[in-house]
Amino acid sequence: MLSLIAREIRDNLVGVTLPFIISAGTIGLMIYAFFWDIGDGVFVIPGLLMLLSFIAFCGLGAGQMYGDRANRVSALLATLAATRNRIFFARVVVGAVTVLAALVPVAVAVVFLLNLRLVHLEFHVRTILEVSVTTILVGFACYCIGLQVGWTTSKARLLFGIVLWTAVVTSIVWAKGFGPWTMLLLLLFIAATLVHAWHTFTSTSL
Amino acid sequence: MNDDPVVVENLVKYYDGRCVLDGISLKVPRGCIYGLLGRNGSGKTTMIRILLGLEPSTRGRTIVLGEDSTRLSARTHGLVGYVAEGHNLIQSYKVQRLVDLCRGLSLHWNSEFFGRLMETFRLPMDRKVKELSAGMRAQLNLALAMAVDPELLILDDPTLGLDTVARRQFLELAIDVIQRQGRTILFSSHILADVERIADRIGVLAGGKLVVDCTLEELKSRVRKLRIIFPKEVPEDLYITEIVNRQAQGREMVLTVANWNPQKRAILETFGPESCTEVPMTLEDIFIECTRPPSATVPQESEVEYA
Repeated sequence: MLSLIAREIRDNLVGVTLPFIISAGTIGLMIYAFFWDIGDGVFVIPGLLMLLSFIAFCGLGAGQMYGDRANRVSALLATLAATRNRIFFARVVVGAVTVLAALVPVAVAVVFLLNLRLVHLEFHVRTILEVSVTTILVGFACYCIGLQVGWTTSKARLLFGIVLWTAVVTSIVWAKGFGPWTMLLLLLFIAATLVHAWHTFTSTSL
Repeated sequence: MNDDPVVVENLVKYYDGRCVLDGISLKVPRGCIYGLLGRNGSGKTTMIRILLGLEPSTRGRTIVLGEDSTRLSARTHGLVGYVAEGHNLIQSYKVQRLVDLCRGLSLHWNSEFFGRLMETFRLPMDRKVKELSAGMRAQLNLALAMAVDPELLILDDPTLGLDTVARRQFLELAIDVIQRQGRTILFSSHILADVERIADRIGVLAGGKLVVDCTLEELKSRVRKLRIIFPKEVPEDLYITEIVNRQAQGREMVLTVANWNPQKRAILETFGPESCTEVPMTLEDIFIECTRPPSATVPQESEVEYA
């Protein structure tokens, strides 16, 4: 399993590191805006950068699947001591860890900065938690979209799929806001896309 | 439990409505080198890919080392060495990286043997796979497949694109190493001389069916090709069981029959042939007869008198 995870990281190094770079940039911008007080910009610019990181998550998932299909990587891996389930699991582990490792530091930075500004932060804990968890779920949902649409040889279909499904996910958050219902919808969306991507990957010709 | 490393039961595969494999059943006994023959598009690669779980079947069942191909465990995969047609290696990797990956994903890696193979083949470890020649890729693929000490080695047209020397080297390795260790090989090829040299048992796929499945000796002794001259036209009602191929032109008929015996000869003699001569057959001739459509013209070959 470790070999499979290491291969996923190495083969998708750009896709894995890009969210961290965006995440580091977001934290840096937040700190700059906070200490040099640029008003509402303190969260607006980082918010835009977060959108960029969602696209990066989508790109990671799509890159993993598209690269596999184009280079027939799994056609080789599945003849070694590895099953398709393990290959897929290793892939998702890399994606999930990337999403968490990129977004959790941003959430921690937000809490830290708010803590400096707000005296009674405990009143906002629930809101902060809901926003953070929803953001992480959106990130993971975007990654799952990449997995779902990436198993293709058509770049046009890949791009169209990414745009369409990302619009669906962002519209869920737009319509419902941050909160338990959005989280539930996102969880259902993630489960459905993961099952579909897994089924496609494990049942198709390699 | 069946002890045969490879079992295929009533395997059917359709591609876009076209039947590629039509009810194939075969068993590869342990320690056997099984040569699978067939023309292009006869379904050899498809059958091998179904065996390895790379392709779903339409119907039927395939079992590899006691496990259903659709649910092969990582352990069973680790006991199978596979050389794919066209040498399916990750082209963008450097050789060293590919070797590391395969080593990391193996149950058992015979470093000493692998090192010896790499020395023999003189493969550059610092070059990308796509920069290697077809022959080098074949050698790398074979070395990787053999380094895992496979219980079952599946070779899908492994010598395709290799020069004569590399082909001979490849086959000698396959025979020497695998046979010495009592391993089983399922081997498909277009080069019949290779199959004739190493196979214990032969299977011929034609028209989606397994038309031959027996030992090489059995095949050579069972199939007979006869050139029969009749006094007038070839009788239309001539029928003998197990005719592999039959071509008629005027007074002459060339008949390839399986399981030729005195009874069949007696039936033939009732039609009063003027002469009946046996045409000697190599494996290549048998293969052509088994896979040739019946409408082909009568071949002109050297003949020997039928005794």
